[in-house]
Amino acid sequence: MMQTNLIPSLDPNPLPAPYWLFKLLLIVTFFLHIIAMNFMLGGGVLALVAKWRAKNPASGNRMFFDLARKLPSLLPATITLGIAPLLFVQVLYGQFFYTSSILMAWPWFLVLVMLTVAYYGFYYVSFRAGEKPGKAGGVMLCSVVLVTLIGFFFSNNITLSQTPSRWAAKYFANPSGWNLNLSEPTLFPRYLHFFTAAIAVGGIFVVFMALANWKRDKEYAGQLLQFGGKTFMYATMAQFVVGVIFLVSLPRDLRMLFMGDNPLATTLLLVGITGAMAAIFLMSGALRTGNIRVAAVYVPAILAVVILCMSVMRDILRDAYLRPYFRPEQFAVTTQWAVLPLFLALFVGGVILWLVMMRRYGLLGGKKGNEPPKAQMASTD
Amino acid sequence: MNYPVWDVAFGAGLLIAIVAITHVFVSHFAVGGGLFLVLTEQKARRANDAALLAWLKAHTKFFVLVTVVFGAISGVGIWFTIGLISPTATSNLIHTYVWGWAIEWVFFFIEITAALLYLYGWDKLDACLHQWYGWIYFIAAYLSLVIINGIITFMLTSGAWTKNHQFWSGFFNPTYFPSLAFRTAISLALAGIYALITASVQKDAALKARIVRWSALWTVPALAVLPLLGRWYIHKIPADVWASARGPMPTGTEYAMLAVVLLIVAFVLALLTLVRPARMHLAFSLLVALMAFGAMGSFEFVREAIRKPFVISNYLYANSFYSTQIPGDGGFSVDEVNAAGVLPSAKWVNERDLTATNQVAVGHEIFRVECESCHTVNAYRGLRHYIELRQWDQNKINAMLGGLAFMHNNVMPPFAGTDAERGALAAYLNSIEPVSAEAAAAATDGETVFDQNCSMCHRVNASDSLFKNLATDPAAAADSLKDLTTLFPLMPDLKLTDRQRAALVEWINKQRSAKEFSSTAQGGN
Ligand code: HEC
Ligand code: HEC
Repeated sequence: MMQTNLIPSLDPNPLPAPYWLFKLLLIVTFFLHIIAMNFMLGGGVLALVAKWRAKNPASGNRMFFDLARKLPSLLPATITLGIAPLLFVQVLYGQFFYTSSILMAWPWFLVLVMLTVAYYGFYYVSFRAGEKPGKAGGVMLCSVVLVTLIGFFFSNNITLSQTPSRWAAKYFANPSGWNLNLSEPTLFPRYLHFFTAAIAVGGIFVVFMALANWKRDKEYAGQLLQFGGKTFMYATMAQFVVGVIFLVSLPRDLRMLFMGDNPLATTLLLVGITGAMAAIFLMSGALRTGNIRVAAVYVPAILAVVILCMSVMRDILRDAYLRPYFRPEQFAVTTQWAVLPLFLALFVGGVILWLVMMRRYGLLGGKKGNEPPKAQMASTD
Repeated sequence: MNYPVWDVAFGAGLLIAIVAITHVFVSHFAVGGGLFLVLTEQKARRANDAALLAWLKAHTKFFVLVTVVFGAISGVGIWFTIGLISPTATSNLIHTYVWGWAIEWVFFFIEITAALLYLYGWDKLDACLHQWYGWIYFIAAYLSLVIINGIITFMLTSGAWTKNHQFWSGFFNPTYFPSLAFRTAISLALAGIYALITASVQKDAALKARIVRWSALWTVPALAVLPLLGRWYIHKIPADVWASARGPMPTGTEYAMLAVVLLIVAFVLALLTLVRPARMHLAFSLLVALMAFGAMGSFEFVREAIRKPFVISNYLYANSFYSTQIPGDGGFSVDEVNAAGVLPSAKWVNERDLTATNQVAVGHEIFRVECESCHTVNAYRGLRHYIELRQWDQNKINAMLGGLAFMHNNVMPPFAGTDAERGALAAYLNSIEPVSAEAAAAATDGETVFDQNCSMCHRVNASDSLFKNLATDPAAAADSLKDLTTLFPLMPDLKLTDRQRAALVEWINKQRSAKEFSSTAQGGN
């Protein structure tokens, strides 16, 4: 049977804005989502490592709780920032994304269940951590395993959406949605690539915590800096191996895109590699001298550029995979001028309001709101 | 057709209903509960009521655990689920309303942040700033309802959009405002109802009584206006759409009745909390919540039921066929598929040629493509059950497939495809519940003949065309039933035996002369 026959046609409605705008929003929001996800997943894994592997159990436990308390906010940040790319990917790639989702419908649906359980687990640990430290570790482990698995299902769906040639065999063998994409050679390297990145970026999150504690508790902050910084370095070094494996696992013509065939893709890869090496170098210096500024400002800034490069590369790779089936020119465009400006205005307004909210709370460098008069506040815990 | 169909053994429709109903029950609380938090905080601070504040702080935790966690995930869940079950509709909606969703997402982002800061801010912020977060939360949450309501109501009443395809025409459609008012009232009621739950576990009896009275102020008036708003809502629904809620097997009407009954029960229970507010028990508060959940679930079922056969009204059927041919529909409109056939049009069928030997296999694929969005074989709306109930043999199934669109007050899309494909579907349906030609013609009692052959399209009702127009003279009537298509060309060409026709006519005339037979009688099953 001709595989291309299976590719669903577009629906009759035109794109409500130019292609590039959706592409831009997709990449930018994916970039934000992946950072939040890395903080969350990496933070969760590192919390467990701190708890079970720390040389000094007391500070290990403290790191565990400190990280654990952040997770109930990092997970919704991940979800909320994930909704936007989920929206925009459907706008541009719905033909592929819906189809692959349907082929693996049950695992995909189970993501929701796992997410709910993981989320309540994180809350449990953060609310109850003080009372039952032993149990907290176990619950945390379950939640972390679940979010790890969710990531794996995402990798399955994304790779499946990019390989329509696999669809027919899977669907007609099992139309009830019990498929994954395990036979895809890039699946595990790709997933491992993301997972390793999460650990590295999770290390940066720990460095941020060191910064937050720098003035208050220098000794603890120093421990955080060492732990986070080293994690970042080792994970990023490992990433060189994992990244190469991923690159090698790609079909030859796609691999060559990053090795000369596509100048932009090649440049991005070079910038990414250079950035990662520079970040490792700077971090090792910062760890030796205890320079929090370098570790918590310069390294993350470089890293952000690296992640942005990687996000664009990911997008180039997707389009290359879909080249035989998908062209941006396929879309008719009728910009909805009656709504688009409203969205843009609200978006800008929303970002400003969000920043004000964070700063008034004392986050993101804002001044803390006044302490409430104790008499007025009743405590329930 | 265009997308693969996810074969959910227990029913795709059921799955989406479960996700949607649990989500709305929480997401409406997320809206009303936000206002409840700020106003209660204001009230407590004005009255210097430390106990109430302490409770409210705990209630905030409960609120966040329910709304931010479950509400947000189940909201994403709806997205996941509709994408899996109605990808064509989702794709159409996304391309039409992506900016609406993007706007909602901005509000959602603010909402989640504000909720967390409000929660964590109880110990950190001064009263004024804390309430500022509360207000931001509520306003953002309400605005996301304002947006999403436009898209949900669009699916039910697409208004002028099918003609002009303008964003705002579809958005501010005929049911937009009644639905918004209705959902606002539900939100306020739920705010009070959820508050009862956390209030009920308070040890301090005086405090509990204060909270219970205060939540009654939310619940009772909101529940009281709901019927009025519901009437307004129904009034704005076009008659033909509403009609599909009635009929011989009136699922829509039944759920509407259930919604009303449960609403009344919830209302009475909410009033009863005021009798001994200090002694209200957790079980009682859960009972109130359960009734509200049931009422709300039934309401969503009604909405789903009356939207059928469409998923986007007057545009796209629930089985992803376009109801009329439009440019760019990919050949997936009923007319085009009638002309070209399912097998050449569909992308996701395995059998491409219909032969003498693969009838059942082809029929199965057609079933999946055309019927599985609403039916299963054995479970939810299982077709085996209907065929057994009606005792249809393969020929009768084939005839009936031609009239699907008339059954149960037009709740189904018409069958689309060639005659040969229709035969294949009939062969498949016959294979899941084989009924012989003899069994199909066995009934001799008039009522059974009616149930098996006419009740899916005709109601036992003086206003029904059958009872209105069939000749009263038994011989003439029986004679006219020899060929139903001469009575009305689109009726299925059913061949009843002489004996069956006579019995049927006799029974019909008996109904006509019965005292209680009126234009309002409900009949059938
Ligand atoms: C839009 C959703 C929808 C689609 C699509 C749909 N149906 Fe139905 N069908 C219904 C509903 C709703 C009922 C009424 C169920 C009830 O009230 O119990 C029904 C009832 C039936 C009945 C029972 C009639 C009777 O009372 O005996 C049959 C038979 C049937 N459908 C066959 C089909 C077939 C065959 C297809 C595919 C060609 C199909 N339906 C597609 C929604 C649908
Ligand atoms: C698949 C649906 C369907 C079934 C089954 C069906 N009918 Fe009908 N019938 C219709 C429709 C549609 C009309 C036209 C309705 C109208 O005009 O309101 C109609 C009209 C009629 C009329 C009135 C014709 C006129 O002169 O206006 C009679 C009489 C009638 N049906 C008898 C029967 C009998 C008897 C049976 C059972 C043996 C039956 N029908 C089964 C769909 C059906």
